[in-house]
Amino acid sequence: MRVAVVGSGLASFTAYQTLRRELEPEEIAVFGLDDDPAATFRRHAAAIRQREMRSESDGHCLPTTFPGLAFRSAVARRSPAPLAGTLLDRFHPTVGEFLSHVERLRGRSGWERSFHRARIERVRAVDGGFELDEHGTFRHVLVATGHPGLNVPDELRADARAVHSYEPHDYASTVTVVGAGLAAATEWVNALAAGAEVISVRRREPARQQLNVPREYFSRRGLAGFHRLPPQGRAGRLTALLAPSYPPGRRWDEPLARAEMEGRFRVEASVNGTEQVICATGFLRGFEHDPLLARLVGEHGLETFDGWIVLAPDATVPGLSDATRTLALGGVSAQWAFPASDTLAGARFVAHRFLDRIRSCRTR
Amino acid sequence: MSYTLRGRVESRLASALIVVAAACALALAEHRWWPVEAAGLMLGVGLALDVLAYDRLLPYQPGWAALPLGLLELGLVILFMRVAGVEAPLSQAVALFAAGWIVAQILGHAAFPIMRLGYAEEGGELGSGGTVAALSLGALLAAAGATAYALRPPVIHLAAGVHQGPLVITHREVLVGAPGAVVRGGIVVRANGVTVKNVSVVGGENGITVERVHGTVLDGVSVSGPRLDGIHVRLAGVVIKNCRVDMLGNTLGQGIDISYNMDMGMSMVEGCTITGGMEGITTHSSMSDIMGNSVSRTTMRGISVTEMSMGTVMDNEVRDARGIGIWCNDRSMCMIERNTVLDTRPDAMGHAFGVLASFQSEANLWKNELAANPVASAAITQSEVQSGRSFSYR
Repeated sequence: MRVAVVGSGLASFTAYQTLRRELEPEEIAVFGLDDDPAATFRRHAAAIRQREMRSESDGHCLPTTFPGLAFRSAVARRSPAPLAGTLLDRFHPTVGEFLSHVERLRGRSGWERSFHRARIERVRAVDGGFELDEHGTFRHVLVATGHPGLNVPDELRADARAVHSYEPHDYASTVTVVGAGLAAATEWVNALAAGAEVISVRRREPARQQLNVPREYFSRRGLAGFHRLPPQGRAGRLTALLAPSYPPGRRWDEPLARAEMEGRFRVEASVNGTEQVICATGFLRGFEHDPLLARLVGEHGLETFDGWIVLAPDATVPGLSDATRTLALGGVSAQWAFPASDTLAGARFVAHRFLDRIRSCRTR
Repeated sequence: MSYTLRGRVESRLASALIVVAAACALALAEHRWWPVEAAGLMLGVGLALDVLAYDRLLPYQPGWAALPLGLLELGLVILFMRVAGVEAPLSQAVALFAAGWIVAQILGHAAFPIMRLGYAEEGGELGSGGTVAALSLGALLAAAGATAYALRPPVIHLAAGVHQGPLVITHREVLVGAPGAVVRGGIVVRANGVTVKNVSVVGGENGITVERVHGTVLDGVSVSGPRLDGIHVRLAGVVIKNCRVDMLGNTLGQGIDISYNMDMGMSMVEGCTITGGMEGITTHSSMSDIMGNSVSRTTMRGISVTEMSMGTVMDNEVRDARGIGIWCNDRSMCMIERNTVLDTRPDAMGHAFGVLASFQSEANLWKNELAANPVASAAITQSEVQSGRSFSYR
């Protein structure tokens, strides 16, 4: 076995689908704690009662953008509506459709044959590749361990009323939602639908955009300029790009406007005396929160900037990757190379380049 | 999708490869070059828009935008085809464009992403495939150009002086007369794709006879003294432009008679001067555009569109006809626009119309000068004259 994927979430799963174009399941080792790649996503989506994906037709785990989920949905529903929707950038697969897609792929791709239930605690560069704990040495390794944990503001950690949006919860009659991204917007709408009075606490007004980042940053058009930025500029750009946002549209605006008129929704500067506080504050940010990455950085003296590991444009770790071996980061840890790396499109971007490296390796 | 400039160009070139190849095949099958010229124009317009407009204005191009952008490109391609004089049947040219557009959509949305994993992420760039596509396209267009050059019809120069006719043309060729070149006894065209240019014809049964062939161009010819018609076209597609036909003294022959070529596409008579004869320009069962001609001193009608003909009569001047200046007759459909008809003389029945529609015909009149005639316009025997523009080629 010569290729390893550390982590078994959706980013790893997407990478695995790409790798399978060239490699047999026995040639790939996937290390993780849960053999269901959608387990974490499923839990989070259920917690915020998410019904629709933010991603569009190409938000899937296959190596090629076509056929996307709109095409498959059109075939399954025997309706051209999903195709028309995707032409207008209005198609969003349901969470159910997406999970079914993952399940189908999981069954037919050989994922189970490659999966090894193990937590990798150390990745160490050695001659001819990278050593993963006692599991051996691999010439090409992709580390996609995902978000290091849920982010709860310090002042709310000890507050008994507080729950993170990605943890299971119901709604009290008065709810404060902290945050301004898609999870927060989903919580506003869901809590209002449950009859609650909702207070939004936010540091800034959320941007309204269809996807996590502007669309040109999903292709070389936006990425070329991004990659040319010096570290400070790139970190600044990332901070701006990753600011909280949720999509425009009546689906969000109408219930909020109605509730505002009824006096059931308002914005306040700080948390007050509501019965429940929901922290829609996303995830911890920065490699230092991930023990594996923190150790990798520490032991190999990797360059970092403001919580991000500095990566090459193809998401490989400079200094540890060369013509004979590859260490790449996927998922959220690859934002230095691809701002939307925690999306399925981002996972595919990293996967394509990882496969390119394997193909071009002289000793593959 | 967010294209890079290179991605746009490479995707455009790779998509165009199929269309240009199809156009070359069509050109070979039809023995006409308009498909290649049209495909070349499509490519040129597309690339120009990619570089000058789309790349700057569209950082992200949603799927639906392909439709309005395609219509914009189609409009520009048709405009440039007219400006460049590409003689393509409009419906076929539109069909070629539509086929190219559909191919591009299928390739862009399905085939390229399948063939190249990072197609979308790389902004539509095709890597070495793009280079190969560009080189292939260049080679294809160069081969088409070389073939067109090699297959050009031979140019035959007719020296100044009188050449005894009738001159019968049996091969595709371009016959170019030197100043003072005269054929006595008429010219007969019996091959497809013949061009006769700057030749004077004197006498003959007909001055020039074109029968059962297509692609004939008569440019700058002059005809005088034929026994029957000046230019006589039967079952043939022609373009006649900048001609002079002198029929004075011939009371029964037609200046230009184009008949029974309904299935040969549009014929055209443009910029000719016809003097005398029974009718100046007449069409029977034909689709013809008659534009910018001067017709005078005929012994009967100036211009007649008759026997289930269809066409446009536009910007002509008809002077001193007898009975009817412009006649739309016998179940014909005529667009009659911006013509001047003067001094129409009464016929044996005492009638004199600027424009007359008769026997179940429809004439649509717009901006004609007809006042200097005893009757400006009329419709008889279940015919109709409408005022106002329903459509125009200009």
